[in-house]
Amino acid sequence: MINKSISRKLYLLVPAILVLVLIGFSIFYTYWNSASPSKTCASCHEIESSVNILFKSAHRELACKECHGTALSNGFHSLKEKGMMVVNHAKQDFADEIKLNEDQMLEVMDNCVRCHKSEQARWLSGGHSAKYKDIFLNKKHNTTEQLNFDCLRCHGMFSEVTIKELVEPLDIKGLWKFKDSKVADKPVIPCLACHQVHQEGFAHKNPDYASPQSAFYERKSNVSKASFYNRQDQTHVLAEDLPKLKLWEGERPVKVSDDPLMRNCIQCHAPAAHHQAGTSDDRTPRGVHEGISCLACHDPHSNDARRSCIKCHPAISNCKLDVTRMNTSYADAKSANNIHWVACSNCHKVKKPGME
Amino acid sequence: MNNQDNLSRRRFLQLTATGLGSIYLLSQCSQPFSKWRFFTNAEARLMDAIADQIIPPDEWPGGRESGVTNFIDKQLAGPYVRYQEEYRKGLLAIQNSCETRFRKKFEELKWDEQTAFLELMEAGKMKEASWKDEFDKTFFALIRDHSMQGYYGSPRHGGNKNNVSYRMLQLDYPLIIGQNRYKS
Repeated sequence: MINKSISRKLYLLVPAILVLVLIGFSIFYTYWNSASPSKTCASCHEIESSVNILFKSAHRELACKECHGTALSNGFHSLKEKGMMVVNHAKQDFADEIKLNEDQMLEVMDNCVRCHKSEQARWLSGGHSAKYKDIFLNKKHNTTEQLNFDCLRCHGMFSEVTIKELVEPLDIKGLWKFKDSKVADKPVIPCLACHQVHQEGFAHKNPDYASPQSAFYERKSNVSKASFYNRQDQTHVLAEDLPKLKLWEGERPVKVSDDPLMRNCIQCHAPAAHHQAGTSDDRTPRGVHEGISCLACHDPHSNDARRSCIKCHPAISNCKLDVTRMNTSYADAKSANNIHWVACSNCHKVKKPGME
Repeated sequence: MNNQDNLSRRRFLQLTATGLGSIYLLSQCSQPFSKWRFFTNAEARLMDAIADQIIPPDEWPGGRESGVTNFIDKQLAGPYVRYQEEYRKGLLAIQNSCETRFRKKFEELKWDEQTAFLELMEAGKMKEASWKDEFDKTFFALIRDHSMQGYYGSPRHGGNKNNVSYRMLQLDYPLIIGQNRYKS
């Protein structure tokens, strides 16, 4: 009789406790996901500095979950991930620096494009949306390029494995294949290759309509839109903190634009180590375009340079020609006059003062 | 977003139980927290002042702002664990000497007083008993060397914040070096 009574109570008690725990957890979870980050995520010491930077960033209005998701946003995967954070915290097993792995970074990217759809569309239409398979399963690449550790500096900077663990064979004899085929469809240059969310910045705001002519003067210079992800150090470097290219054409130093955003481009579209113009993948403007920034012509997301000439040139140039139809690689891919370094003297064989 | 993690039922229950249990431990978060691994907050303040003396700020950030203290703290909790005792003893000796001589902490001294104090250390001319056996000289050399390593070394080790020394020296870092590119 006693046993029966106890087991009946247990039948009632256990579900009741479970329901209470569930209600408690739901209340806690709802609070956690709706309260200000200063009362939730920022109270976690490990990520305090990251959250503090976010509060000073252009994304300061966003809750952490908008980019990082919640414990329940991705099933067991996210539950396990967030659960481990609490476990590690309780064990005081603090990571010195918290880093996103490649999959976590791509999850964040999925959230970037929820708001930045236009940027994503342009990125998809350009050369920077290449996937691992586009780079590493390309027949011509396979038989022309010698793979080395540094390939991943620009093609797969977030890869958690080395080139040796990523692809085989490491020579130009046979077609390359992935050791783990799951990487094939991952982008090699994702948003966070050139952008850092946790960095100081400010959101754009409406001008003061009482004095609209003051809009220009009220705008602050906000060049920190780009950062380069330095694979070697696993950290972002602000575009303005990147080195400015020193480039030589023979003995002559080439004038290079001071545009900090261009420094991001140069990190990958770089000359060979001796910094001679035109070597390796150098496309630094020279000739008639010397000193201008890549971004003067190229859209940063799509890389598209169509209709860029009209931004600076009169419809008809000083040569009385339509600049878009001149014999350059802009109009014709086979032209010998590369638009990046075409000079007056390429066409005008008789030099006049100022044409050097 | 992959759901392919192999999570056994037992492991899941373990994680859930530990996770829920850990929520109770969150109360400990309200306790004061030091962001330093080895240093106390007081030692870190002293280290910041010394770092600025060794690498004074000018148009470029000095030792404090470039993260020298963070570098040393990080190394003392890692590869430089063998220097922990020297730092604990040395930093205490500096504060004791300052209290005796000026009735102030080192970081409260005027800039020139701090410089003069460190010059005495460097020359091995400290009189207090805690500096016997030329500990003043060797401890100064140790901090100086570690400060230089923090300032000029790779940011991945905790110092040289925002590549400050690389930019000051106009080093190409990250290195600007092209890829092997075939001509199509």
